Amino acid sequence: MTPAHVKTFFINLIDKMLYSHPGMPATDVHQHLWPEPLLDLLAARSDAPRLRRRGAGWELEVAGEPAAPFDPRAHDPAARAALAQADEVERILVAPSSPLGIEALPDAQPLLDAFHDGVAALGEPFFAWGSIALASPDPAAVDALLATGAAGLCLPAQALAGPRRLDRFRAVLERLAARRAPLFVHPGPAPDAGGEQAPAWWPAMTSYVADMQAAWLAWATWGRPAHPELKVVWAMLAGGAPLHAERLAARGGPAAAVLDERAWFDVSSYGPRAVDAMLRVVGVDRLVLGSDRPVADPPPLSSLGPAVRHAVAHVNPAAVLSR
Amino acid sequence: MSHDLSEAELEVLVRDVATDPERWRHLVVHRQDERTYVELQRDDHVAVWLICWMDDHDTGYHDHDLSAGAVAVAAGAVREERLVLGGAPAARTAAAGESFTFGPADIHRVSHAGAEPAITVHAYSPPLWRMGAYEVLPTGELRRWSLSYAEELRPIGA
Repeated sequence: MTPAHVKTFFINLIDKMLYSHPGMPATDVHQHLWPEPLLDLLAARSDAPRLRRRGAGWELEVAGEPAAPFDPRAHDPAARAALAQADEVERILVAPSSPLGIEALPDAQPLLDAFHDGVAALGEPFFAWGSIALASPDPAAVDALLATGAAGLCLPAQALAGPRRLDRFRAVLERLAARRAPLFVHPGPAPDAGGEQAPAWWPAMTSYVADMQAAWLAWATWGRPAHPELKVVWAMLAGGAPLHAERLAARGGPAAAVLDERAWFDVSSYGPRAVDAMLRVVGVDRLVLGSDRPVADPPPLSSLGPAVRHAVAHVNPAAVLSR
Repeated sequence: MSHDLSEAELEVLVRDVATDPERWRHLVVHRQDERTYVELQRDDHVAVWLICWMDDHDTGYHDHDLSAGAVAVAAGAVREERLVLGGAPAARTAAAGESFTFGPADIHRVSHAGAEPAITVHAYSPPLWRMGAYEVLPTGELRRWSLSYAEELRPIGA
């Protein structure tokens, strides 16, 4: 052993003691799973959003959308855990299904409690993104959610898409930042379904994309200056908003906001071309794995190489969730 | 930065960063099994990385697709080899205080040199995106593998 080797040995030892992250499990930051208590409450409701028996099966009614067949097997925790194993995912963050519009209901709290308690009861690999009733944003609710093991707070994009809307959540977001917990921005609530002629994918390609872009632009303009420390995870690459940075600059907007060390973008429903384009704009450190199961399958990213997978599934989610 | 940087501008940048250890001393981590990387700075036109080397770490032959680059050595030494078909590589060693540059079309490999762990500062303009990694077959054939930049700068098993 040369002196350099001895020095390196101790540097590595100290590094392992101080900086190692033994807990960097592969993490899918974006799935949906309606636990049993939430299914029961949705089935007991008389107004949308609700579940109704139709023949031998079930139908889901959401305000403004035609009733759609609902298969409870898509929300079976054991089947989902098995899928996670096949996906090589060790930790799943379960987001509220914001497009249902539950958070905006006057009687939201029992449904939200059923979601949080139901996911908490499942145990690993499931962890909830917490959600709050939008009518009365209360910072104490953030503490209560984090006390139950929630990964952070999920808010629907429309609720954040403008200065007055952001201001309504100022105290909540300040508390979240003070607790070093992340915000997850998900499309919703209440998509524009596009009328009776529109196919099922219509809102996912129109209002979801537009809402995520508007929320990201509002964050770039008013949100980030007000909350410099808050970690924010954007579903679905924020609707591709950072890919419009050159256009934003050309129109005099805050294009530098694409370079934000406290922002991450989940890759749900995108693939190697869009993810590679995004990687070019924001860098690989900013991307996290999100599948949107059971709505979509995990994106096929193997063509981007194992190092991208390692960053997106292991290293970057650990940075999001470190307190 | 308001524009893509020339090799000369990149060299000034990495020398400035390398001689300002306050910016990166707290990020230095040497690992025996791999190089370690931290992105120090990123904007639309340039990305700056700190890389820590030891024990014969080696990048293999690669190019940087669209990006020019510069490397300044802050501690220890690294060896740069340019690929020469049918001949020995054109090699040079850069020690602490020295620097070198490369253009997008250059094919090189960089490896750790000497016994002391090395610390280097790298800048790429525009920020590194895709790369080519070269495999030299026993028959002498050259193969190019297209890689995401993460493959170079974020090795597995960190």
